[in-house]
Amino acid sequence: MILLQHIALASPSPTPASVPGANIFTSPLLMSLTIWLPVAVSLFVAAMPNPRGRYDQLMKQIAFFTNLGLVFVLFVAYNQFQAFLPTMQYEEKVPWLQAIGVTYHLGVDGPGMVMLMLSGLVGIASVLASLGIRERVRSYVCLLLLVQASVNGAIVARDMFVLILFWSATAVPLALLILGWGGPRRGSATWRLLGYWGLGTAALVVGTMALYAATGGSSFDMDVLLKASLTPRIQLAVGLVMIVAGATRLPLFPLHGWVRDVLSEAPPGVAVVVAGATTRLGAFLLLRTLIGALPAAAHLLSPLLAALAALTVIYAGLAAIRTVDVRHAGAYLAMIPGGVTVLGLAALSPLGIAGSVLSLFAGGVAAALVVGACATLAERAQSRSLLVLGGLAPRMPSLSWLLIIASLAVLGVPILATFPAELMTFFGAFKNQPIGAFAVAVGLALAAVAFALLLRRVLFGAPNPDAPGVSDASLGESWYLGLLAGALIWVGVFPGGPKIPGTDTPVFDPGLVNVMAAGISDMASPYVGPTPPAGQ
Amino acid sequence: MRNLVLLPEALVVAGAAFILLAARFAWLSPAARRRLPAAAAVVALVAFALELWVGATLATYFGGALVQDRFALFAKAAALLAAALAIAAADWGAEDSTSLGVAMPLLAAFGVMVIASAADLLTLWAGLELAAAAGVTLVAVRRPDLGLRLLVAGGVASGLLLLGLAFLYATTGNADLAAIRAVMIGTTPTLSLAIPVLLLMSALAMRATLAPFQLAGLSAGLGASPLGAGLVLGLVAAAAATVAIKLAATLVPVPQVVSPYLEVLAAIAMVGGGLAAIAARSPRVRMAYLAAGQVGWVAAGLVTHFRSGLAASLFLLGAFAVAATCGPAVLGRAEGGEATIAGLGAVRPLRAAGLAFALLSLAGAPPLAGFFGELAVAAALAQSGHFVLLALGVLGSVLSLVAVAGTLRLMYIQSPLEEARRGALAALPAVTVLSSLGVAGFCLVVAAYGFLGSPILGLANQGAEALGLR
Repeated sequence: MILLQHIALASPSPTPASVPGANIFTSPLLMSLTIWLPVAVSLFVAAMPNPRGRYDQLMKQIAFFTNLGLVFVLFVAYNQFQAFLPTMQYEEKVPWLQAIGVTYHLGVDGPGMVMLMLSGLVGIASVLASLGIRERVRSYVCLLLLVQASVNGAIVARDMFVLILFWSATAVPLALLILGWGGPRRGSATWRLLGYWGLGTAALVVGTMALYAATGGSSFDMDVLLKASLTPRIQLAVGLVMIVAGATRLPLFPLHGWVRDVLSEAPPGVAVVVAGATTRLGAFLLLRTLIGALPAAAHLLSPLLAALAALTVIYAGLAAIRTVDVRHAGAYLAMIPGGVTVLGLAALSPLGIAGSVLSLFAGGVAAALVVGACATLAERAQSRSLLVLGGLAPRMPSLSWLLIIASLAVLGVPILATFPAELMTFFGAFKNQPIGAFAVAVGLALAAVAFALLLRRVLFGAPNPDAPGVSDASLGESWYLGLLAGALIWVGVFPGGPKIPGTDTPVFDPGLVNVMAAGISDMASPYVGPTPPAGQ
Repeated sequence: MRNLVLLPEALVVAGAAFILLAARFAWLSPAARRRLPAAAAVVALVAFALELWVGATLATYFGGALVQDRFALFAKAAALLAAALAIAAADWGAEDSTSLGVAMPLLAAFGVMVIASAADLLTLWAGLELAAAAGVTLVAVRRPDLGLRLLVAGGVASGLLLLGLAFLYATTGNADLAAIRAVMIGTTPTLSLAIPVLLLMSALAMRATLAPFQLAGLSAGLGASPLGAGLVLGLVAAAAATVAIKLAATLVPVPQVVSPYLEVLAAIAMVGGGLAAIAARSPRVRMAYLAAGQVGWVAAGLVTHFRSGLAASLFLLGAFAVAATCGPAVLGRAEGGEATIAGLGAVRPLRAAGLAFALLSLAGAPPLAGFFGELAVAAALAQSGHFVLLALGVLGSVLSLVAVAGTLRLMYIQSPLEEARRGALAALPAVTVLSSLGVAGFCLVVAAYGFLGSPILGLANQGAEALGLR
């Protein structure tokens, strides 16, 4: 509860506790590194000689160590992050297309740092999940690294032009990854992905251009576009198109048409990166542009957001109950954390917004875990049909445990990171959006039923003698799923970071909730209720 | 320095004339003929470098008929670069005539250079006809029937253009662009102005293969040799778009006359281009429709009547000229349909990369040249309040991107055709040092265009300012 109050107030702390080892490394190009390192490695891999696939393994190792290095750099940045500082950090600003007011402006605040950590973690998991790829490894590795670069770029962009650049750049390599290495319905999945994401990109472009025009057409910098005082009418128009952009990416009902096919047809490594990182960009966009910049529109549109969140969670729960395909079930259940995140945004309260930001990380990891676990299970059991699979728990114990953790994570049970996220979200939402919050809670109950049915059928039902042979997760698969599950447990147990006993000095990890608080107070300030007069 | 300003033009014309004469009178040995493409590419590159060096000088020539300003500098540089890269990147085994194949891009580039410097209606017309004639010649080498068709359609376009220019001259009493603009200021839109504008737009749309006037140009381009297709779809269309930009700047004082037609044309081209590209089954047809869609974006920039809009159109035109001219040349002989490029990424990685860059740039995919150009136009559209056109343009780009994904899948994910099944139509492009350098240079230009966008867009802005726009 103390933690909740702490987040709810989100007030600047004059003396944030420093983490041992902080400030040992500084780089003015830290944000650029997160974007251009994967691109450079991708180009290097593309140019590497690889006679008859001799260096396929080496290419996978290069991708893995690139991601590992990136996470190390991100962890240093995370440790050095000045928690409770409301301004952007690690900023880079270089004039670019001056004639139309574009700057190469990068930077990160608390929510951005949370997203970067998520992207790094999911990046490693996706490479580990891709160790089984045997065909055209070079192209696969290059495209996967390009996806990671574009996701990082979209997170750290502080100029809307740069944001559009990276936001739209994620679609092409992802489409090729699904087309090239996807399941039997990959064609349909790709066209749906391009169609829906294309619609979202179109909405983002139109919304950005409307902001650009409304602010005088001099700059695309977020400091200008998102801090201008606009009329409620313009805010409403821009807010609506931004909701379309965010809803296609997250996805939210009814703009979710791509999610089932993409998450069930993509290879596990790609499905993990889509469910874990790229989709979270949708909620991140809503946080940045709607909640953080258009308060009048946010007030007007928050019931719509809450309704979309509720419909998404209820729809996902019902669809997961009805489906007879384990990967479809995983895809539907991966929509639920997105709905919870949006409910927090719709709450328009500091606590709800803080819950949303934590949910970006926790929900992203949970979605990646559930999609990855279902995909790996389907591969290992050689079938996706819930009519065929049954009684697998004794034969794949590791995978069974990981699927159970994934289920619990999506439902937000204690000791997992989704628990504080959902708690904060619901505490924040029940005051301002009680109907929406209640509906989302109903949706979560449906999801619990869906999980119970899934686990009973697949893991604990009677074994099917006609089912193909099964095997437990390989080392790589156990590692990537274990990494995601471990992150959920770590943040769930230590949301504020582990401390030296008896002191407030953090050890090794300054705590995700501390880091994410930087910037939230600024974003949430328009939604803080009037302070009651003294003496009342 | 003033005397050197026309040196690039002189170099290009002299190079083309020498090549044609040498071929006619058999001056060159077979070994020398084989080096012609490399020599022509070097000539075009030297002219490009000279243009960048001396082109910043402001001057007028031939009694004011030609003007050297920033607009001219930008358009000439883009045309020369496109011609140089296309000549270098082409698969000369797929061309029917080396001498014509080398000379015609140089002449088409010269046509664009004349348009870029033109200060009056007649010079504009002459430059456009020269560029178009080069295209017709190269198309006719392989397919005389299509050449004739293009000639007839071009004749109609030329007639419409002349008629429109004559109307404009009759209405304003001037042939000089600056003088026409001066007369236009304070003029109210009338039918006598609307008629020439309609005629001019129809003619330029035919030349630029802009929907719904694209039929003759598009089919001619599709049947031509790779370089011929590049000329018709790229340089000739760029020439028409350059004329359109100059005329749009001239007619800026009466936007009500221009805008309605231009908006419809741009919208049809952007959305129609994307839809047709999805429906297309041949890579060259798909490229042609993508090019048509991007010309629509160029036209959309002209709707704004702002300097920033015309500058954005010019910025995009540079990207378009390079990608649309070089794209078919990089594709080589692929008349056999989609199967011909299956697995190209494995067997010809550099050429496949070049083709992917060309398609993605024409579709407006990030982070390539077309993306930056289209977003610059989008920003101008937003500034001028044309949100419907902006939304349609973005929709067209999304459709184009969907179309390109299909081709990329073929190149990088499908297995290549077995050698035994490859006919002449599906033969793999030859790999030479020149073509590799050309394709690599093309990829570099398309990739770096946006990242070096500040000076390029700055120059385009100065170009628009030179047209008298504020």
